[in-house]
Amino acid sequence: MSAAEQRLEDILNNDIWDVDPQPHITVDNEKCKKCNTKPCVRLCPAGCYTVSDNTLVFSYEGCVECGTCRVVCPLEAIHWEFPKSGRGIYFRFS
Amino acid sequence: MAEIPAKFDAIVIGSGPAGSSSAYYLASKGFKVLMLERGRSSGSKNVFGGRVYAAPLKEIYPDFEKSAPIHRWVTREKVSFMHGNELVSLDYEGNDRKSFTTYLSQLTGWMALKAENAGAAIVTDITVTGLLMDGNRVTGVKAGNESVKADVVIDAEGVNRLVLESAGIVPPLKPSHVALGVKEVVKVEPDVIANEFGLGEGEGMAWAVLGDVTAGLPGGGFIYTNKDSVSIGLVVLLDSAIDGANEDIYKYVERFKSHPKLIKYFKDSRIMEYSAHLIPEDVWSLMPPRFYYDGLLIAGDAAGFLLNLGYTYRGVDFAAYSGYLAGRAVEQAHGHGSMSAENLSVYTKLLEQSFIMKNLKRFSGTHKLMRNRRLFTVYPAMMASLMRHIYSLDYESQKMFSALLGAAKENGAGPFTLLSDGIGVMRHL
Repeated sequence: MSAAEQRLEDILNNDIWDVDPQPHITVDNEKCKKCNTKPCVRLCPAGCYTVSDNTLVFSYEGCVECGTCRVVCPLEAIHWEFPKSGRGIYFRFS
Repeated sequence: MAEIPAKFDAIVIGSGPAGSSSAYYLASKGFKVLMLERGRSSGSKNVFGGRVYAAPLKEIYPDFEKSAPIHRWVTREKVSFMHGNELVSLDYEGNDRKSFTTYLSQLTGWMALKAENAGAAIVTDITVTGLLMDGNRVTGVKAGNESVKADVVIDAEGVNRLVLESAGIVPPLKPSHVALGVKEVVKVEPDVIANEFGLGEGEGMAWAVLGDVTAGLPGGGFIYTNKDSVSIGLVVLLDSAIDGANEDIYKYVERFKSHPKLIKYFKDSRIMEYSAHLIPEDVWSLMPPRFYYDGLLIAGDAAGFLLNLGYTYRGVDFAAYSGYLAGRAVEQAHGHGSMSAENLSVYTKLLEQSFIMKNLKRFSGTHKLMRNRRLFTVYPAMMASLMRHIYSLDYESQKMFSALLGAAKENGAGPFTLLSDGIGVMRHL
């Protein structure tokens, strides 16, 4: 990594959210266990998905609401919807 | 379920470019319009690359050029092939107010305000969760436990069509339907933009980069100069990224920004915002079976109205114009007495006659072309070696033709491959 490249958490720190107390993402762990590739991990631009001890761990708070995880999940284990009541990411310059 | 007592002539789902222009048109023709937005304000959920083509918007909004939030008119178009540390570029100066840079959040906010000033009611913080149906007829929308009725619903919910999916009108999105766009908006002072990008007052650059920027994945990078910032990001076809992305997708953007030939634009700069969005790509597979139903029209990304040619993307003007045409279709159906599918079918006719369907038909083969990996691997490398053979000299100069042959040979492209790829590009682009 060159000195100029930043870490994702520092990049995301520039965004604004109003986090919904109700998660807008849920993962069916039974289905997810059967998936060997887990494309959500590399392709979620906000790094919401990580693997720890062979189990998928996710956080919905930093989601930028692109919907990629829902589309790439091969076993339809990820249930993704829009946050309710104006919650979630708030874009100003995009 | 609690039903909101008021009934509207039209309900618009989503106040993006498509929704806002349809609400604006209908409200200005005297229709009672309700536009529902899931974000805290109009534009707060919108993301684009960075440039909008102006002509369709000028047609919809006569005062567009005077009052819209335009950052810079694109006067300089650049296309570069990236191979390692090398960059081969084509630089075109000569545009005159054809397209401009802006923040979509700002532009959409402006468009929604135009709708509101024309008399449309806009309610934010409302996520529409489904369509209200009476048999096959759409009679309104649902949002959680509440519902509102209208004679017609214009679905402009965007590329993630949760409402249309729940109504069974479209199947779930597939990776092959879309591309993923990831971008950073980076603070760059106007004098740095002027000096480093070679731009005068109010002048802007649109820059497409192909090759190593996506590590050879089908797609490309983009850079747009805004008033006092630069948008930089990339687009990758999602199905190719599933198989081919070897690391976290955000790292591609960071690496692009820190490329040895690009870093000078971004030193000491700070990120203002990071965003990502899905982009209709294989639009002919993504399109709903019809654009009109009993009491329903579909516009913008939700309808698949976006043109992606690799070096150019047109989404915002397509979306805005389709919303405007949806408004005109509703007006005409009203003249015929009802919002039946038959009366609303004029929407398809209007689309067919417009630049939207003409362009989408003309370029219907590009998504196949985009899957030719050589365009993103072999050819950028070949361009770089050609230039190296010609210009990177110590003593001996080389003839152009032998440099070309040398470059082709170095990168394993035989004459037949060159010819057939060349024909593919000529046919589809």
